[in-house]
Amino acid sequence: MTMIRSREFWIVVVSGLLLGAVGVMLSVWGNPENSGVCVSCFIENSAGALGLHDQANMKYLRPELIGFVLGSTACAALFGEFRSRGGSEPLSRLFLGMFMIFGCAVFIGCPIKLFLRLTAGDLTAAAGVAGLIAGVRIGLQGLAGGVEMDRRVTGQRGTGYVIPLLFVLLLAFLVVRPGFLVFSERGSAARHAPWGIALGAGLLLGALAQRSRFCVTGSIRDTLLMGVRIPAPWGLAAFIGAASLLSVVNGRFHLGLYGQPGAHLDYLWSFLGMGLVGWIAVRIGGCPFRQLIKAGEGDADAGLLVVGMFLGGALAQSWGIAATTAGVPLYGKVALLSGFAVMAAASLLTRKDSGQKA
Amino acid sequence: MSRVSFDRFCWLTLSAAVVSIVVLLARGDRGEQVAGLGKAAEKEMAYRARIELIRNLYGPIEALRSNGKSQEALLKLDELLRKYPGEAHGYILQGLIQRELGAFDEAVVSLVAGIKLNGDYLDDKSPLSRRAEIERLVTEGIQRVAERAAATSGNRSTAATLRSLNYLKSRLAGGCE
Repeated sequence: MTMIRSREFWIVVVSGLLLGAVGVMLSVWGNPENSGVCVSCFIENSAGALGLHDQANMKYLRPELIGFVLGSTACAALFGEFRSRGGSEPLSRLFLGMFMIFGCAVFIGCPIKLFLRLTAGDLTAAAGVAGLIAGVRIGLQGLAGGVEMDRRVTGQRGTGYVIPLLFVLLLAFLVVRPGFLVFSERGSAARHAPWGIALGAGLLLGALAQRSRFCVTGSIRDTLLMGVRIPAPWGLAAFIGAASLLSVVNGRFHLGLYGQPGAHLDYLWSFLGMGLVGWIAVRIGGCPFRQLIKAGEGDADAGLLVVGMFLGGALAQSWGIAATTAGVPLYGKVALLSGFAVMAAASLLTRKDSGQKA
Repeated sequence: MSRVSFDRFCWLTLSAAVVSIVVLLARGDRGEQVAGLGKAAEKEMAYRARIELIRNLYGPIEALRSNGKSQEALLKLDELLRKYPGEAHGYILQGLIQRELGAFDEAVVSLVAGIKLNGDYLDDKSPLSRRAEIERLVTEGIQRVAERAAATSGNRSTAATLRSLNYLKSRLAGGCE
């Protein structure tokens, strides 16, 4: 009862509600089906627009992505929470960012899209949900065993401004449209909500997520650790509820396994893809969306992870790692298994002494 | 250099660099702009050239098809498919002709092969789009093949056709890929 009366509870619930609602409505307004909000898809599209890969149908500088980071920066600055910090295993984070996007690319979507797909009736996403929960569980086992990132250093002057400034530059690119920026005229990247609406939605969600610390994998992690006595699971429930309701209201709910947009039937690989994302997310402290928000509030470690995600997005398309409706390609499977190998090896090699005793 | 004068130097450099960038961008270099814009335009020109090539290559087959000489068109298509195995248009055309001839399962196989090579055939915005025809085939086909699959459970070829139809349905539904 005390929790329901707390401000924090309602901020988390409103964040979840709006993420679910905007996630569906952006699809209604023009984004691809079930991809109203999908950080990994947006990153792959944006990497293409910036010339980092050559997949002709995946090039568009997604305004939502810019909005997430700058909304978070503005909100953090407004509430005095912008703190430049970093220095915790930066190179590891760069590679983990790449592998996180590989996991998303094999599943076809980030954890937010996972639930948007599920709430639109796509039952193939159930394998991803199971995988994500399993991955978070493995990550928690690792944490309990002393597998964690090195402590970061606060007060790293200046480094926290780099990513927000980079995204200001991307905003300028979006407005000015310099000649080197290439936007797809066909395919999924050609389908987008009007940029003003997309940017506004991104700013709103970025600001709210900064205040609430809402994160899909974080919510699952906290629920596994503390049950439903904390706001996080209620935020996730609000997200699922709002997305389900609006999918039905907008006629976008099609229950079934077959004929779903942007989905394949390789359940094992969907499970593993989201499993890898869940495991990495626990190790680095949040899903791809949360990393963008943290980068916006001055976390240079999250910033480097965002750079890694862009590299991963580019490679996922260039190297044929990304899955399609036809299934998961060979290199996608290899990249995913490499991600598991890296995570397992890193866990064994970087285990802290205290963990070994425990 | 004292700290104060170094700071002054840095401020001066910063302001000079920012002002210069703004001036450079505002003035613009026509040559550079043309080169930059050329990237998108070049891709579009290559795409248009490809469409023109497709029209030239497959035009005679389209003509045979519209004159009702479907068998002859299929024979010509076979030659082109052997010559250009990576080109989706041949498979799409083959699928549409096979469908007209009543070879439904074969038509689905050809269309799937074409769509896997190039999704533009399902894109409304593409000049290559055959979305309406493929949509009709999928809508009619799914029910028909599902009934057939229920009547002959365990029939592998029917199950494969149903899988292919579901693949086409999934691609028609959109999504981000």
